[in-house]
Amino acid sequence: MDSYLPTNLGGVIVKNFLKRIAAASALSVVAATSTLADGHGWKPDGPIKMIIAFAAGGGADTQARLIADDIQTATGWEIIPEQITGKGGVNALVALKDMPADGSAIALVVTESLGYNAAAAKGSGIAPDGFTGLTTTAGFQMGVVAKADKGWTSFEDMIAAAKDGDLRFGTMSPKLSDLAFLLGEAHDVEFNIVQVRGGRAVMDGVQAGDMDLGFMAGIQRKGVASGDLVNLASALSAPLVQTPDAPKFSDLGVEFNADGYFVFVAPGGMDPAAREAITAAIVEATNSGKAAGMIGKAFGGAVNIQGEELDALMAADFKSAGALMEAAQ
Amino acid sequence: MGVWDHVVAGFLAVLQSDPVLGIPIVLLMVLFGFLLGITVGATPGLAGPMAMAISLPILISIFGYSADALLPVLGFLIGIMKGATIGGAVPAILFNTPGTPDAFMTTLDGYPMAQKGEARRALRIAHFSSASGDTFSDIVLVVCAPFLAILVERYLDLPEKTALLILSLAFIASVIGNSVGKGIISMGLGLLAAMIATGEDFYPRLTLNQPALAEGIPIAAAILGVLILGEVFKALEDIYRGEAQAKPPEQTKVQGGAKSKDLRRLIPTIGRSAIIGTCIGALPGVGSTLAATLGYTSAKRRHTNRPDANSPAFGEGAPEGIAATEAANSSVSGANLIPVLSLGIPGNAAAVFLILAMDSIGGFNPGPSVFQLGGGINEGALNPEMVMAFGIFTTMFIANGLNWTIGGIFMRWVGVMTRIPKARLLPIVLLLTLTAIYVQETSMVAVWITLFFGFLGYVMRRIGMSPLPFVIAFILGGNLEATARQAFAATGADPFFLFNSPIAFVFMALAIGVVAFSLRKPVP
Repeated sequence: MDSYLPTNLGGVIVKNFLKRIAAASALSVVAATSTLADGHGWKPDGPIKMIIAFAAGGGADTQARLIADDIQTATGWEIIPEQITGKGGVNALVALKDMPADGSAIALVVTESLGYNAAAAKGSGIAPDGFTGLTTTAGFQMGVVAKADKGWTSFEDMIAAAKDGDLRFGTMSPKLSDLAFLLGEAHDVEFNIVQVRGGRAVMDGVQAGDMDLGFMAGIQRKGVASGDLVNLASALSAPLVQTPDAPKFSDLGVEFNADGYFVFVAPGGMDPAAREAITAAIVEATNSGKAAGMIGKAFGGAVNIQGEELDALMAADFKSAGALMEAAQ
Repeated sequence: MGVWDHVVAGFLAVLQSDPVLGIPIVLLMVLFGFLLGITVGATPGLAGPMAMAISLPILISIFGYSADALLPVLGFLIGIMKGATIGGAVPAILFNTPGTPDAFMTTLDGYPMAQKGEARRALRIAHFSSASGDTFSDIVLVVCAPFLAILVERYLDLPEKTALLILSLAFIASVIGNSVGKGIISMGLGLLAAMIATGEDFYPRLTLNQPALAEGIPIAAAILGVLILGEVFKALEDIYRGEAQAKPPEQTKVQGGAKSKDLRRLIPTIGRSAIIGTCIGALPGVGSTLAATLGYTSAKRRHTNRPDANSPAFGEGAPEGIAATEAANSSVSGANLIPVLSLGIPGNAAAVFLILAMDSIGGFNPGPSVFQLGGGINEGALNPEMVMAFGIFTTMFIANGLNWTIGGIFMRWVGVMTRIPKARLLPIVLLLTLTAIYVQETSMVAVWITLFFGFLGYVMRRIGMSPLPFVIAFILGGNLEATARQAFAATGADPFFLFNSPIAFVFMALAIGVVAFSLRKPVP
């Protein structure tokens, strides 16, 4: 709640004001400090554009802006965040694709944007090999969640209720809608799948009774801790950290899962020195400073998958998307 | 955490905002907005929404997109909204030129009073009535909005919410302007514009393969284009043709104060008008001009039936005439937030810009979820959106306080604004609007889109079509589509989901009824 009270507004105003009115003088100060702070050997020629594929004001957007702030403080590089939202990150990737690969443009998306969404957006020309993966920042604790006052304590209770009458299953992306369909199919029930925009909307819907259950990617943490919400299942390949006893999708007869991460990417064929330096700066920001605190609170801590491991992860996601779409036909 | 905790937190969010020069920034922003509002209201040819529209992108570029930015920006806009309604009375009384359209009725009695040398008394009455109406309306807002929101959330399921949005749009299209047909066309165009590049598919629909449209039409570009540039283009053409050149204002002496006995006598008139204005304000689509007209005519009817020996007839300088008009048009500016905060539906142009501010900054989604206790997380937590709502209420009462204290004095200073010629003013507005758009969107495409919608707004005004249904439909279009999709999915793909529940059925019947009823009404 604290973050919603204006605490540092004067600073924000002064900073933004300075940025616009006296950009030139601000830059010279930045340049002077950056030579001292930068230890990676690579320096951007100018400001770095950071494309944010999420709506302004949400958790993901806050994360991106804090990381930008932290990097700016630590290295002196100037980072300019810019919102390009819509189509599950595809719009952001389309915009990023043709930008220079010299480290002057990066984007925060989710692995699903380059996986399922890129595969589904035929004609957009988006595929993982057209981008350079930098690092993931945090993973999703994706659970199948219901309100506690439904009276379901386990996944089986919910399935029993679904057999008595149609349940509404809230999701926030086409991939998750497919997974919800497969989950129902595996247990011989049909959910009314209601796809909304963003995890927050699923939680609001579940709380308000517009939906009976839904996918939540970490936002349910406080509610589950206080006993108002229940994690019925883990939609991941691993158990949920908060509710390790909840069955995984693989235990429930669904061979696909919702494993996913927030990930920074750059245009394809990026200069390796730039890739290394920017990746290092992001990793540092996600593990220290304001961004680390926020990521810890909102997403359960930083997860930094980078280099070849990240390349393999993105390629695998993209490849399995077709199989998932086919299975859900 | 109970409701009271949220009230306190909202109040503190305003008062404990970062101080600038020792004063909390939100307070300062409300003050600046209020003063700007009075000035703009007193300038014929400028109106509150215009100033709100131009300030918004500039404010966002200063304050950024963080949750901290919401209250200062909204405080400033609310200040303008409230200031403009009292500012409009100044030139109406002094120079027989209404500063804003809703002050037209004020000229009928205000100017005769000024001619009799009672300008100061007339201004004092206008200020007192305006401030009273405003305060009354804000109290109604604070009491009603949360309950309405809770009722909506408890009783309305997805199909009913869809039907309610359709009803609102039908109502707006029917009552704004004087032709139902044109209203519906305007609304349809707004929905069409809202469809571009949105939707659930990964393919950007209706963009004709233009990459510039792939993210959809920038919302500020469309709205500022239609509402502001359209008005500027039309006014410039009027000047060119020599049509709208207002007669040079006559100078009058500002003298003769009002006695408190005077004001006490007017309280019943003010009360009746404030109730009329508040009810009108709470309905989406019916603006302050109609409220002023209704307030004035009802007071006039009453006055004619029971003539008062101490007071001249209406139209000859009756204080009741000013009081009735000003109380009614000012009491719209609190009540119009009832549909905004409880349903997310903007009722008039001022509300459009408040919603636009909330949308652009993020972190606050006007609608039923705002007043959910526990914020959807758990009962022990503060709901940040509800805190924000009470913060907004606090800024409204601060604007009220300013209205009572310094509003009257400042009003007397801004009479000079009437003498600024439109031919100088409008190009400045044009330039400021385009600059504001560029500052927010940082792309020339947005400027071209704004100009395109400005031309559309101009054409609409030329053919007598109100642009407001367009704007409201454009804002609600995405919401309507999403709710309808969800309702359809949630009912297991039932094609008749809008007619299966009694409440939804009643809403749909009302929507058809309101259009049919308006069609029968003879065009005035």
